[in-house]
Amino acid sequence: MPEVKSIFREVLPKQGQLSMEDVPTMVLCKPKLLPLKSVTLEKLEKMQLEAQEVIKQQEMALKEQEKVQ
Amino acid sequence: MSQSVLKLSQNDLSRERKESDSALPISEAAWSLKTRALTEMVYIDEVDVDHEGIAEMMLDESSIAQVARPGTSLRLPGTSQGGGPSPAVRPMTQSGRPITGFVRPSTQSGRPGTMEQAIKTPRTAHTARPVTSSSGRFVRLGTASMLTNLDGPFINLSRLNLTKYAQKPNMSKTLFEYIFHHENDVKNALDFAALATEHAQFKDWWWKVQLGKCYYRLGLHREAEKQFRSALNHQEMVDTYLYLAKVYQRLDQPITALNLFKQGLDHFPGEATLLTGIARIHEEMNNITSATEYYKDVLKQDNTHVEAIACIGSNHFYTDQSEIALRFYRRLLQMGVYNCQLYNNLGLCCFYAQQYDMTLSSFERALALVSSDEEQADVWYNLGHVAVGIGDLTLAYQCFKLALAFNNDHAEAYNNLAVLELRKGRIEQSKAFLQTAASLAPHIYEPHYNLATLAEKIGDLQSSYAAAQKAEDAFPEHVDTQQILKSLRQHFAEL
Repeated sequence: MPEVKSIFREVLPKQGQLSMEDVPTMVLCKPKLLPLKSVTLEKLEKMQLEAQEVIKQQEMALKEQEKVQ
Repeated sequence: MSQSVLKLSQNDLSRERKESDSALPISEAAWSLKTRALTEMVYIDEVDVDHEGIAEMMLDESSIAQVARPGTSLRLPGTSQGGGPSPAVRPMTQSGRPITGFVRPSTQSGRPGTMEQAIKTPRTAHTARPVTSSSGRFVRLGTASMLTNLDGPFINLSRLNLTKYAQKPNMSKTLFEYIFHHENDVKNALDFAALATEHAQFKDWWWKVQLGKCYYRLGLHREAEKQFRSALNHQEMVDTYLYLAKVYQRLDQPITALNLFKQGLDHFPGEATLLTGIARIHEEMNNITSATEYYKDVLKQDNTHVEAIACIGSNHFYTDQSEIALRFYRRLLQMGVYNCQLYNNLGLCCFYAQQYDMTLSSFERALALVSSDEEQADVWYNLGHVAVGIGDLTLAYQCFKLALAFNNDHAEAYNNLAVLELRKGRIEQSKAFLQTAASLAPHIYEPHYNLATLAEKIGDLQSSYAAAQKAEDAFPEHVDTQQILKSLRQHFAEL
């Protein structure tokens, strides 16, 4: 919204206008600016991903051992 | 003779002691290095991290009144003055705050009203709300210690003689940090810090700060406050101010935190981290104008401060000044920030600043840099907006569908798809999409308002009234919602 408010006077013709109707239209959701992430947050996410991968690898190793047995 | 024998044996003993003493520092140094390396692997600056679990949120012990006075609470943002753009222009988050330009681990991404909603929030690092602060993220971080060494932990805490090590200043601080960050064992860390503080005769500010951190983790906020205050009496440090402000924010006393920051600025004039803290509090209380002022002060001190640039940029974008927003985001690009979010924001700013040549290439870069499905969904959603802007509704339809393919819970995409379906005349499909959007995101007003409009058109006045009331809850100042409600009430009165 512009900070300087100027007063606009509406010019409505008195002749020739039959009717005016305010039709409620549908509203779109607004475009989303994506927030940037902080260094701490990125490190947290990276640690979480790495921990998950290590656990996955350990589970795979366990499964292979069970298959061999 | 016996005396000389005694002296000899004493010399032997002292020589042995000297030899073992010279061996000690080397092994101590090696131990110290390994401990610090292990700690550094998982070290996160405690100032940024939030530990609030769902239980702490819902069952708040430190509140002294049922309802806070307006402008004094971080949990009731809508009641403070000097807000920024309305929800008609700026997307809102679950907690009723507008989305910010920058997100940290402690950014309140959502403060759900009921226990049900609290449990439904997704559990990733950036939107996670662990059930209690002792579970969730910190269990995951604690497993780092188990994963690094499969033979067993490097330091076995249960067998450690804490008193002995608390008295060795060379090793105590390293050991404390290891216990606190790597092992995540706050209780042992607290005991250790207490012993060390005693040994230092309560004159060492560093140990008081560590005690304060442990109390904060355990949820004993008043004790933490005492420790930090006493540490400040010994030695003024910026970090101590930051930790103390975090305690006040957790106690939901933003005004006290603001006063504290101002006190800190008296001692450390122009300190960027303190100014950032003030700006963040203003943003959380929805005072966007004051927040922008303080972020600008931060930039005067440090003009590469990413958070300040991102927040000012997003404020300018949502106040219809996309060219200025573009300048801010281009500055970030100049600084070398290179990720999906920045390119997405650049694309949006370029489009709305009418620099159409750069728009699509920025979005292409953003798509190339995505790191998760939710990010990709958001980029496709914004591309859908660009498509609507150029009038290509088929492309817009495909973009919104793609957004949904990557993230099935993207409420805004459902809402916009519903609008497009209505343009094609498919009323039932539109209604289904709107209902999905409304149930996924009850805090945004658009799906409710659209449902109200649609229902009124097809004559279903009862559901139109219900939806319009929900829209009013989400955004009370919306003129069109008021008009619908007025006409419906007149209609019902006439019956």
